[in-house]
Amino acid sequence: MLKFENITKIFKPEFFNQPFVALSDVSFEIPSGSMVGFLGANGAGKTTSLKIIMDFIRADKGLVTFSSELGEKRNDVFRNIGFLPERPYFYPNLTGREFLTFMGQISELSSDQIKAGIAKWASRFKIDHALERPLRTYSKGMLQRIGFLATILHEPKLIILDEPLSGLDPIGRKELKDVIVEVHREGKTVFFSSHIVPDIEEICDRVVFLKEGKLVYDGPVDKLLRSGQEIDYVIKFKTDKKINLQSTIKSHQTFPGQLHSITVTESNKKLILKELMALDVDLSGIDLIKPSLEEIFYHIKAN
Amino acid sequence: MMLDKILIISKYTFKELIKSRILYVTLIIGIALMVVTYVATEFTYGVPEKVALDFGLGMLSLSSVGISLFMGASLLFKEIDSRTVYMVISRPVPRWVFITGKITGLIFILLLNIGILTVMTLTCSYLLGGEINQAILMSILFNFLESVLLLLVVVFLSLFINNTLATIISLTVLLLGHAIKDTKNILFVQQRPYIQYVLDLYHFVLPNFYKLNLKDYVIYNQTLSLDFLLGSFAYGVCYSLFLFFMIIFLFNRKNLD
Ligand SMILES: Nc1ncnc2c1ncn2[C@@H]1O[C@H](COP(=O)(O)OP(=O)(O)OP(=O)(O)O)[C@@H](O)[C@H]1O
Ligand SMILES: [Mg+2]
Repeated sequence: MLKFENITKIFKPEFFNQPFVALSDVSFEIPSGSMVGFLGANGAGKTTSLKIIMDFIRADKGLVTFSSELGEKRNDVFRNIGFLPERPYFYPNLTGREFLTFMGQISELSSDQIKAGIAKWASRFKIDHALERPLRTYSKGMLQRIGFLATILHEPKLIILDEPLSGLDPIGRKELKDVIVEVHREGKTVFFSSHIVPDIEEICDRVVFLKEGKLVYDGPVDKLLRSGQEIDYVIKFKTDKKINLQSTIKSHQTFPGQLHSITVTESNKKLILKELMALDVDLSGIDLIKPSLEEIFYHIKAN
Repeated sequence: MMLDKILIISKYTFKELIKSRILYVTLIIGIALMVVTYVATEFTYGVPEKVALDFGLGMLSLSSVGISLFMGASLLFKEIDSRTVYMVISRPVPRWVFITGKITGLIFILLLNIGILTVMTLTCSYLLGGEINQAILMSILFNFLESVLLLLVVVFLSLFINNTLATIISLTVLLLGHAIKDTKNILFVQQRPYIQYVLDLYHFVLPNFYKLNLKDYVIYNQTLSLDFLLGSFAYGVCYSLFLFFMIIFLFNRKNLD
């Protein structure tokens, strides 16, 4: 769907500042039909990359190519893309409906298509009550939602979002994530940036990970998860006896109600379970701890 | 197709500006015009219709200049600052279509402002017994041309520098553009060839706004030669087109960040 090849972007110095390398030789690919998360700390270069993809700024080196399913000419390609900038703020005096109509018209939709699109999505986003109000009266979350609505109104094949979930409350995030998943299921390719690792872990199948302008990882989410450290298990049980285990355990916590929780490595799991059985404890559960992207995130950051 | 999109963008630019209530200024000026006219009929002997005309045309010119300067400077700045430009040009909208639509939308605002004040001025003047002649209409047309030219100067500058600076420099260019004709005739300057040289250069490069100012001719009933009118008109149009194409050329290459 989209190829980002060997992109280098250097911000030229203003007067006496040093030139700043915002992206250095970054390459990644967005496969058709995938949901790709774009991860990186503040200042990693996510927004800069998206601006280069959208041709708002130009790279010093490298090439962005769109696959032919989006179209051959620039106009066709852009008709099939929906882009939502970070912290969007729209024409304050237009009403929500006027803004959406405007966005629909420049995307070459007919007025019937626009009406149908608004009718379909406005209630989903809970902004139908505010459509006749000027945008300056919208809250941050409402602006984010109407921005997202404007982004998918023309049914683009490729949806690119810069921090779509920021500024939303937990319920708002959930709702927006649900809609993102829904449009993805309809066959749209989605690429969105975020620093919120669990969000990406939850809904993306791939992730592109930038750190200080360099590519750290580009591939499936679960492979990145597996590339972490050894897998651990948590064993929970109840007992009134004193516990003294032979095998090494990673940690041991006790809770009220004589509840114990121990963390063990994969290789020790069997031995410890045997010991516990011998002690005749009341076993209440074994869980696998997947290292979350969050941990990997900080792990890679530390290296 | 592209023409449609230019019209859509100009329509919503117009709507957005109308709702920002800048035309309240026009209405206030209109009311002031009526008050001045009333006062003039009470207190001036002989020529109240001239007072109405003079005041009306002056205000028309001043308000157009004001709209061009301030709205023009923020036209692009606001778009980039609020990232709405990203929403628009991420659609099948080439940059030249976007900028042409924005400028056209603002030109419609200028037209509306001029239209309202023209009707009010002419009505006041007519009711007081003044005549509506071609020179007045010509002067208003040239006024419109002046404000469009100024608008393009501001937008052009705002591609390089921030909007406050763009406003100040444009205002300076406007004032100099009006003053240059008289400056060249000052004895002090005439005696000093090097100043003349600088002025000639300026005259050649920067817009000569004085060419578009016909108010004095109207007020003092001087006659205008067709050659002069055509020459000035062509000058204004050509300069505007030149700036317009420069704006498109530069905006296409501009980094929008
Ligand atoms: N116009 C510019 N001039 C100079 N430096 C810039 C410019 N734009 C961005 N940068 C720098 O490039 C780096 C990357 O910025 P970018 O906005 O892409 O980060 P980001 O990953 O989107 O961060 P965030 O999560 O905070 O949005 C930052 O260090 C930023 O200061
Ligand atoms: Mg960013």
